[in-house]
Amino acid sequence: MSKMRGAAAIVGIGQTPYYKRGTSPEPELKLAIRAITQAADDAGIDVRDIDGFVSYASERSDPAKLMPALGTRECSFASLVWFHGGGLPATLNIASQAIMTGQADIVAVYRSMAEGSNQRLRVIVAQDDTSSQYLVNGLDSPAQILALRAQRLMEYHGVPQSALYATVRASYYHASNNPNAYGRTVTMNDEVYEHARMISEPYRLFDCSRENDGAACILVVSAERAKDLKQKPAYILSAPMGTMEGGGALEENWRPYYATAGQTELAERLWRESGYGPKDVDVAQIYMNMNSMGIGAMIDHGFFAMEEAGAFCTFENLTAPSGKLPINTSGGDLGEGFIHGMGLIPEAVRQIRGASTNQVPGAKLSLVTGGPGDLMSSTALLGAAETL
Amino acid sequence: MAYSFEQHKISGAIGADDQFWRALEDGTFQLSRCSSCRNWTWPAHFRCGKCGSWEFEWVTLEPKGNVFTYTRSRYAFDRVLERKDDVPYVTIVAEIPEAGNVRVMGVMKGDEAGLKIGARVKGSIEPPSPKTKNYPSIRWELDL
Repeated sequence: MSKMRGAAAIVGIGQTPYYKRGTSPEPELKLAIRAITQAADDAGIDVRDIDGFVSYASERSDPAKLMPALGTRECSFASLVWFHGGGLPATLNIASQAIMTGQADIVAVYRSMAEGSNQRLRVIVAQDDTSSQYLVNGLDSPAQILALRAQRLMEYHGVPQSALYATVRASYYHASNNPNAYGRTVTMNDEVYEHARMISEPYRLFDCSRENDGAACILVVSAERAKDLKQKPAYILSAPMGTMEGGGALEENWRPYYATAGQTELAERLWRESGYGPKDVDVAQIYMNMNSMGIGAMIDHGFFAMEEAGAFCTFENLTAPSGKLPINTSGGDLGEGFIHGMGLIPEAVRQIRGASTNQVPGAKLSLVTGGPGDLMSSTALLGAAETL
Repeated sequence: MAYSFEQHKISGAIGADDQFWRALEDGTFQLSRCSSCRNWTWPAHFRCGKCGSWEFEWVTLEPKGNVFTYTRSRYAFDRVLERKDDVPYVTIVAEIPEAGNVRVMGVMKGDEAGLKIGARVKGSIEPPSPKTKNYPSIRWELDL
């Protein structure tokens, strides 16, 4: 157990609609302001009192630009977590630490993206740190690079296509019940999935996350302050970040892990710090830049072994309300929309509140995993008051 | 002599592999090994994390390996549009047994029948071209 366990809680969530990429009627800074003000309203907090700002990866709506519009009285803490979607749950680690050490009282964790007219979202996401070894050899997109890992996971380790399809079907089923999901009207069945165009083998179109414009925000305060606010708090039980020896900027030379998510040791820390294990988790928001990587994340978290992936990953097991491990209950990165994974934390919180459109009855332990296979990643477990 | 890749330098990543490209442009396949503990260091770096040495030697190798993994790109991606007429094309990650099984990427050449993880491949070196962003490149071909 760690000192961080339950020290802070998520008390507000705010989300703009998901727009088709490049079609947001508003620039990303304005989307960020909308998400943050909504989160403050949701929590019953005066938006001017937010004094901490945390984001990750290549976020460009920095606090300096936000403050004048939010009426911020004092920004006493601001930080960006390194790397790409791997940094998502780690924002909760940074926010908790800032609160525990008195550096800030109310921390906004947010991400905003609206594709400019000249840069594709996936190029922004890559942050221009793709090395010559990839680009010279025709590899640009995370979809291609992660396809290399998927090929290994499937051909060498034997994870079947049916496991990938189950995550797609579950995601779109959940999206169909979520009025805010961008993919809510997509019909998903065997035929649609199998006939979708190939992107980079073995990935078909629907194995890949969406690309959307939008913004999302959650507010973190101390456990003590959380008790007196409007919403049922979602306590941050653990949110470890990191990379082990053998991982990092190694250009497909990761060892010993390659085909999964690089989250084995992170998950071990998560269970140790929180005092819970994979069997205790009620619902999980699994980051799926690409779905095989999300399967890798579930393997790394100990939900099933590599050879059990086919048996575990079925539509029935992965869907709310009664699956063994309902995942991506808002539709997730595949079905709801993708703003660098930031939609996952609000949904993890809604599950604790009992407010998801695909609610797992009585959900008390809610997991959210970070960008799998990222150079550095993170994961987080949220809990209701009873789990403290 | 000015090297092509040096005039078209791609930023990003560690950036200690200039000698790899220089050697390729000169027609040889070289990988880096720590001069002190002889640990194969790939991608190349500035300091050996195993023993702390700052010295590396670049060893000329026969480009031979085994397919570790691969993908067939079926879409013309934004930053590699130079290859749009080649879609679909296969990129192979090959393990190099003679260099401690470090993995080196290259676009596949020749017949794709028999492509699978574990298959033996041999490399050939191609001069800089727009498709390779004016860098030299290694191509992997099945060696059945």
